[in-house]
Amino acid sequence: MSLVTELILSADSEARYPAPKEIRIYQDFVKTGEQRIRIAKILAENEQRIVQNGSARFWERCPNTPSNCGNERKTASCQRDQGWYVRLIAYSILAGSERPLEEIGTVGIKEMYNNLEIPIRNIAECMRCLKEEAMSLMSEEDGAEVAPYFDLIIHSLS
Amino acid sequence: MQDAITTLINTSDTQGKYLDESSLNNLQDYFRSGELRARAAMTISANASTIVTRTTAKSLLYTDITAPGGNMYTCRRYAACVRDMDYFLRYATYAMLAGDPSILDERVLNGLRETYNSLGVPVGATVRAVQAMKEVTTEMLGADAGKEMGLYFDHICTGLS
Repeated sequence: MSLVTELILSADSEARYPAPKEIRIYQDFVKTGEQRIRIAKILAENEQRIVQNGSARFWERCPNTPSNCGNERKTASCQRDQGWYVRLIAYSILAGSERPLEEIGTVGIKEMYNNLEIPIRNIAECMRCLKEEAMSLMSEEDGAEVAPYFDLIIHSLS
Repeated sequence: MQDAITTLINTSDTQGKYLDESSLNNLQDYFRSGELRARAAMTISANASTIVTRTTAKSLLYTDITAPGGNMYTCRRYAACVRDMDYFLRYATYAMLAGDPSILDERVLNGLRETYNSLGVPVGATVRAVQAMKEVTTEMLGADAGKEMGLYFDHICTGLS
């Protein structure tokens, strides 16, 4: 679901055309298209770096954690998941909506990681580290666009 | 429903990938056409009833369909027909904003031909009316936006026939 689909479905639920306010939101959204594509590219090109440096940062703060337990397979799957969250954030930025991130990655996140026996608080800390790492790669303006999505993941873990 | 953005995201997500260069180029085109889409939607929204009136005048009014025995004869049927024209226009506008026809499939076309057949609504005349609506809309919006709306009017016609 994107911002565009959201406003169309909302108009359709009342059998009307999009209201002036909604059209204005749409116009603001498409105007920032270049910026959205730029941010998505930065995240795609730097995913590995965000995950690697983010992990290093995370292990300093939280050394006793599954991804740092010496089991390479565990480390690899934890870092693969971290990369996935970076990708979902890139989707959400392009969509102008938190819905892709929520639908794919945060609904059920606690239950899943509880089931995998990974400490939720550690994941939240790890996401903070990924966020810091991602923000350090981009301008303040782009960072301001990205940060709320990391915060959403962290919030959904609390 | 899908739109130009979610279609690309969903395709990439099933492969676990970021949007590739060509998807990003498609998105770029969509974002760049956004202002055109927004203006077209505002113009249509402000003139919806005029468009429907002109469409009916152009395609249906002086044909057998409005004469006794025709499927638009009786006010009640006439009103139902005008209502459907309204729907076509509104949903085509949604699809144009979305840059994707799926909302037409899901919310208009699904089962429509069967419904029309069972109600005795002639599909040929409906298609002619939708084509007339395309012309009326293009006259009002200009060539670029008219062409974009035309895609979705044509989609309705294809779905009906």
